[in-house]
Formats: sequence, C-alpha cells, structure tokens
Amino acid sequence: MAEEHKFLDSGVLNRLMHLTLMARSPMEGSVSGLHKSPHRGSSVEFAEYRNYVPGDDIRRLDWRVFARTDRFYLKEYEAETNLRCYFVLDCSASMKFGNKLHYAKRLVATMAYIAAHQGDAVGLICVAGKTFFEIPPRRNPAHLKLIYETMDKADARGQTDLAPALHDLAEKVRRRALVIVISDFFCDLGPLLNAFQHLRFQKHDMAVFQLLDRAELDFQFDRPVRFVDLESSLSIVTEPSTIRDEYLRQFGLFMEALRDGCHEFGADYRRVVTDQNFERVLADFVVERAQLAASSP
Amino acid sequence: MTFLQPWVLLGLPLVLLPVIIHLLNRLRHRPKPWAAMRFLVSATRSSISQTKLRQFLVLLFRVLAVAMLILFLARPLAGGWLGWALAPAPDAILILLDRSASMEMHSGGTSRRQQALQLLTQAARPFEQTSHLVLIDSATLSAQEVAQADSLARLSVTGPSDTAADIPAMLRAGFDWLIENRAGTAEIWIASDNQRSNWMPEDARWNSVIAQLSGLSQKVRVRLLELNQTPEDNASIAIKELLRRPRGDQSELEMTLEVQRNRTAPATLPVTLTLDGERSSTELKLDGQSLRWRRKIDLGARREGGWGSFSLPADANPRDNAAYFVYGPDVPLLAAVVSADRQGARDFQYAAASRGAEPAELISPADFASASLDGKSLLIWQAPLPSGGDADRVKTFAEEGGVVIFFPPEQADPRQFDGISWGQTQNAEGQDGFRILRWEENEGPLAKSDEHQSLPLAQTTFMRRQAIVGQKDALAAFDDGSAFLTRQSAGKGEIYFCASLPDPAWSSLGDGPVLVPMLQRMLLAGGQRLQPVSAVACGELSAVDQARQWAAVDSTEAKDIRSQAGVYRSGNRLLAVNRPASEDDPEIIDSDQARKLFGDLPVQTLQERNLETGQLQGEIWRVFVFAMLLFLLAEAILILPARRTAPPQTAAPAKTKQREAQLV
Repeated sequence: MAEEHKFLDSGVLNRLMHLTLMARSPMEGSVSGLHKSPHRGSSVEFAEYRNYVPGDDIRRLDWRVFARTDRFYLKEYEAETNLRCYFVLDCSASMKFGNKLHYAKRLVATMAYIAAHQGDAVGLICVAGKTFFEIPPRRNPAHLKLIYETMDKADARGQTDLAPALHDLAEKVRRRALVIVISDFFCDLGPLLNAFQHLRFQKHDMAVFQLLDRAELDFQFDRPVRFVDLESSLSIVTEPSTIRDEYLRQFGLFMEALRDGCHEFGADYRRVVTDQNFERVLADFVVERAQLAASSP
Repeated sequence: MTFLQPWVLLGLPLVLLPVIIHLLNRLRHRPKPWAAMRFLVSATRSSISQTKLRQFLVLLFRVLAVAMLILFLARPLAGGWLGWALAPAPDAILILLDRSASMEMHSGGTSRRQQALQLLTQAARPFEQTSHLVLIDSATLSAQEVAQADSLARLSVTGPSDTAADIPAMLRAGFDWLIENRAGTAEIWIASDNQRSNWMPEDARWNSVIAQLSGLSQKVRVRLLELNQTPEDNASIAIKELLRRPRGDQSELEMTLEVQRNRTAPATLPVTLTLDGERSSTELKLDGQSLRWRRKIDLGARREGGWGSFSLPADANPRDNAAYFVYGPDVPLLAAVVSADRQGARDFQYAAASRGAEPAELISPADFASASLDGKSLLIWQAPLPSGGDADRVKTFAEEGGVVIFFPPEQADPRQFDGISWGQTQNAEGQDGFRILRWEENEGPLAKSDEHQSLPLAQTTFMRRQAIVGQKDALAAFDDGSAFLTRQSAGKGEIYFCASLPDPAWSSLGDGPVLVPMLQRMLLAGGQRLQPVSAVACGELSAVDQARQWAAVDSTEAKDIRSQAGVYRSGNRLLAVNRPASEDDPEIIDSDQARKLFGDLPVQTLQERNLETGQLQGEIWRVFVFAMLLFLLAEAILILPARRTAPPQTAAPAKTKQREAQLV
C-alpha cells in the first residue's frame, strides 16, 4: 500500500468514496453491478412488459396479467452490471512540463480506486510515443496495486501519439466500456478525433481530461526566452511579447477544436489546469456523471 | 563638415555596440523547456516577418542613435547654406572691454567706456538667448559669462580703472576660453580707444595669437568698436622721479613730474600737493603740450617715511589727474669699493663717503665673496671684471636696486660682465687729452645741479682711458664718440661703466667736482635697494603683494588696489599705485592698422550689419542631439510591450462550483 499512497490522498478518498463513478450509457459487464446493462436482468427494478414468444421461460409469465387480460405477458426487469473502465494515460514527454504527469497519475489512481471498490474492472494503458503498455481490466481491488506500480514506473518520454493506442483499444475491447483518456493532447487532432470516433462507434463511453499547465495558458514572459521542445530537439529564441497574442490565439483555436470534436463524438471533455484543486475536479466529474446516468432512460 | 573634436570620431565603431549586445543577448537567453511547442512554432512562423522587421528597425535606430551621439560629441561644424540654416547665431560672443584709464576720457558727458558699454549692450541684446556672452575686461583678463546684455554696465568688472590694457593678452585670454570651453562659432567684439600703447602693434604676441585663432576648427570673426572721438580739454600728471635727498640734518624730496595736455594754448594749472594728508596748492604755467617739472619738497628733520600726491583740477579724464608717491625713511647710505689698489681706491672711498663723512668700505677682490653688502647702495668695482659666483653676487646686488659702477682695471680684460668687457687702454696724444663735449644733463649721475649748473665735465682732462666694449646706453662720450660713461638697467638697479680713473695719470677726475657728485648721486639712487617697493603701476601688482590685505590711505572710500590708483597701506608698508605711464601716451592706431593686425581673420566694425554668415561655419550639434532623441523615441515605441491579451478561459462551469458547495 505504500506505493498506493504516493498517488492517493486518504482524505480525498474518504470524501469521494460515497460517490459512484457511473457510465453515461449501458455497460456490458460480466457480473452484476451498479451500472445499467443493455440486457434485461433480474434486478428488482421493473423495466417493461413484453409479449410471450415461444421459448421464453414460462416462469417469467405474469399470471395476474394473464388472468385479467387472457394474454401472456412477460414482466422484465432492468439488468445491472459492472463496467470495464480503461484509463488511457499519456506518458509523452510533453506531460513532463510542470506537474502534469503527476497530476494525471493522481487522477487515474483515485478514479481507479473508486471504480475498483464499487466492483468495476479497472485497466490501464500507458502511452509513451509509439509504445504503450497495457494492463487488462480486473475487478479485484488487489489489481490496483499492479496499476499503481505501473504508473509509478511510467516516465514521460516520446511524442504525444494517442491515436494508435486508442484505435487498438477500440478494436480489442468488443464489449462496451468506459474509456477515460488523460493527456495534454499536444498532437494532431485529426487522427486523435478519428480514434475517438472509432471508440464511439464501438459504443464505448468516453471521458477526456485535457491537462494543462498555467504557464501554457497564460504565456507570461517578459524577456526573450529560448524555448526548448520537450518532445524533440527543436528550440526557438523568441520575444514572447511579440508572439503572445498569436500563441494564445492558436492555443485557443486548438482547445476549441478538441472540445468540439469531443462533443461531436459524445466524449465527456474536461479541461483541467494543474493548479486547480484536484478533489474538486474529480468530484465535479463523478457527480455530473452520476446525475447524467440517473436522468438517462 | 568639420569637427571641433575630431578625435571623438575614433569612437564610431561603437555604433556596432547595439548589434553586438543583441547577438550576445541571443546567446545568453535562458533556456525554457516547453511542451506546447506546436503553438509557439505556429505563432512564431506567422509573426516572423513582422518581428524581424521590427528587430531590424530597433537595431537600426539604436545604431543611428549611437552614431548621432558620437557625432554630437565630436561637435560638428557645417558651412555654407547648411551652417547658415542650422546655426544662425555664433555660439559664443567674447566681449573684450578696454577699461584702461584712457577709456575714461569723456566726450559729450559720457566716457568712452560708458559709450562702449551702451553700444555693446545694444549689440549683444539680440544674441542673449542664442549665444554665450563672455566678458573679458582689460584689468582682470578673466572671462566672465554674462547672462543678460543689460547687466553688462552693472558689473564691477566693467567699471573704470587706472590700469593699462593689453589687447594681445586679452585676445589670448579669449582664445584660452574658446579652447577651454570648446566653443563653436565665435565672434570677438573689441571695444577700445585704439591707444597704441594698449594695442602694441609691434608686439610679437600678435602673430602667435592670431595664428592660434586662425587655426581653430571653427572660424572666428572679429568686430571692432572704435572709440577714439576727439577728446575735450584734458591734462594729466605723472611722477617720473622721486628721490629723498639728505640735506644736512634734514632731508628733502626731489621729484620730477610730467604734465601733459591735449591743448597748446598757454594756460595756468592749479596743482594740489597732498603730503601726509596736508594739502597745499601751487600754480603751474604751461606753454606747450608737455612740461617736465622738477619740484623739491622740504621734509625738515622728519626721519620716517610718508606719502603724498599731486592732483590737477577735474577735466575730460578724471583718471589721469592724480599722481601718488610714497617716500621711505631716511636711512644712511653706504658704498663699498672693490679694488686691489689700496692707494688708488682712496679717491673712490672719499668721493662715495656716507652722510657722516665715513669713507666707503674697501674690499679686496679676493675677499669679495665673503664681504657683507648689507646696507650698501653703491658698489664701486675697480678690478678685473667679476666672474662666477662674484659676478652673480654683483648682478643680484644691482637687480635688488643697488648701483654698480665699474672702473678700468688698467689692463685688458677678456672677461665680460652683462655683455660688456674692457678693451685696450688708450693714451691721449696731445696735451689736451680726450675731451667730453656732450653728456646727459637732464637726469642721471651727470645731470645739472640744483642750481642748474652743469658739472665741469668739459673742463676735466682725460689723458688715458680704457675702451668699453659692447657699450649700451652712453650717458657721456668723448669727442671721438667713444663712451665715457655707460648705463644699463639690471632689475631695479643700474650698472655703469666709466672709461677713466681718478688717478692723475689717467684724468683729473680725482679733483672731485665730477667724481663726487656722480658717485653721491649713484649712492642716492642705489638707496632704493634698501627701501621696500614703494610704487607700482596699477595692474602690475606682484602676486605676493596681491595676496596681502591693502587699505586705501589717500581716501576714506574703499578702493581696489588691483584696478584703482592711490596710496595703500598693508601693515607698516606704504605703496603708491599710479596708472601706467603708457596710459598718458596719446598716440592711437587707425582702423586700417588695427584690421591688419588680425591677419586673415574676418574683421568688421561693430556698426557693420552685413553679417556674411555664409562664410562662417556654424556648429550644428543640436541637429544631432535632436536626431538622436528622435531615434531613441522611435526605438522606445518599437520595443513597447504589446498590450496583454487575456489567456483562454479554463473550463470552470458554474455547475462545478455548485457541486463543490454540495460536497462541502
């Protein structure tokens, strides 16, 4: 548990454990759980009446209705299942800027803890450049240890390239799952949004956390600076005051495009600045999803 | 274009300093690891041309500003239309004001100096704002900047003085000011009465100072204000000689005065004598323009010194109406005879005996080095000419005011003393011997007696003589032109050479009628060696005396000893200060002569209004300062930080806050 504590805050966990990390759409789990299933099940939650068709189990006939209407109806109940939650963590070199990667690891660790303790299977994919490391989802809370150890070893390196990992995930996971992507997304948006589309096509529920540093957003420099790219050997000497407007404009356009793309493909887009309160970001995310799940038919 | 300080142009490579600093700055930019590089690259690419242009302009403006600064420091000068357009007024106007005593000559109720000040004020008024007005007066030769032309007449250094003017020295002071203050275009305005003694056209300093002014990078123009209007009636008085002569137990002052006037008609002038504060008057009859007046004043039994003055009634020039004198205490005068011939020296010893009939002290030439000359006023040398340390001692004796007379050593002497040596001994062929027919009878040791009787020099027989080689001023000469008695000045004293001896084989000088008065007069004249300096010309006070505190004795009003004549006291010492004798010299130089003195320098009278500024070079540093400021301003505008744009808003929907509230 010592490893776990590096990313976990017991106070935060105590306050957030009464909340439930919900999927916005029905999930296809292997065991019963807290999440709606596309299939009818045996829960106490009434769903609908359905006409009897040959082959149906006659034990599920509603005899009272038959007595009143002289017709065979089956009474169906909502099925509740668990979900598979995949955390896709960007470990590219750009995440090294500020404390983005650490912040991301804390987000993953806390959400994974909540999910695991509500009976959901939790998996992790660390993407660093062209390579990525995957831990398949398991329901066992002890599985968390493996996830934490993996995250602890994950260093920021390589270029941001999430699309191949997301496509691979979409192809590999056939059953509906919750995919939570955490990155700064400093990459080409086209392939990335294609990957989102692919995931959406596979009926996965997506949440996207874009992690940014305050310096990246404000670009407050008053003297000429030699900027060195974290993901390549590129360096630029520039007078920040002369390009600040253009930089902010380009940055704004990028974020707008990412947000619009996420909305287009039904992804839950969250922009997080690393100086924001970590607990509030998570609480906001979890509570909103719970409300959405409750209001959906 | 030329430059006043061209060596500053060596700093022109400094214009590259902004470029070098820029390059160095690029090298030392702090590296900043950055994640959002794609936006930076994109932003830089889109603004690169604009940024480069701006950087280029900033560097250009900085380089130009440094260049302008260097050119400004080099003090550029432009001629022709550029100089005319950019520097219409001279940078400095040096006003050289002659405030010598002769400038106090009145005409029409105002003195020449006052007229000069009025005209200078009018002429300088338009240049108050554009030029430095610098006054150099003849009495102090110090440069003083004047803020307003109207204040010229109120300055103490423009007041009347009893000094003389030295125009070459004033020009030199002006040149020094131009160099010291690195002035640009300059005009030198000279206000003077063109008195020849002040301008000294033969003085060698003219060539050097005019060459220096002509050699300046900036051209200098001279404008003359000549104030030589016909003067009104004027007379001046000056003391030429003053001697306190013992007469028995008493003493008297023997004075020679010179009275000059600018009219020829016979007139009677009342002369007022003030002696130690007591006044008396006498009348002086004048037939011509000049009169040399010998006057004796009986001092009675008074032993101590005192002071006095002669004054004339007010006329056109009040500054030349008084002459002041100071006489010293009555001290016994002693002589020394240097001779190896004890017998032959006896005549000298008795002829130069003191008032108490004590014969003069005899010193052997071999003992001269150790002999004391304290209290001696006359040194009679009848021996081979002194050399080495003895010669220096004799010369010092004369320079201190003593009188030295050399008599023939009776043998040819190749040595020289002060340029004079003894020639061969010559014997007269006939019985009549050598004759002296003419000599200086007005002044000096062979002058007429008080009763206007000539010394019996013509009756004196000279059988032998020794030639004086390299003779200077001969006071008496033999009939063949050979000098009998020569005189030359040495410091404050005099050195005489006499061609014969009082020995009967040589001459009848030993009889006494010539030798005794001659040596006694020399004894008297050498008495000033024993007196402190008692009279100086105004403006020629020594540095030592200037440092002392002086109080006027002849007047109850405070007077400045440096510029005003009078009698002054400092402790026990009295000093008579009179205007320089040259100030009484009425000779002037005309305009053409004055103009020629300035060589190639452009000279105009102050009344000439055509300035011909096109010929002058104007200093145009203002243009470069303005350009430098303009470039710095442009550079400052270009490097102004752009207005801050608000960064993109982070997602913080209102709902988040509500949820947070719920959580809490």
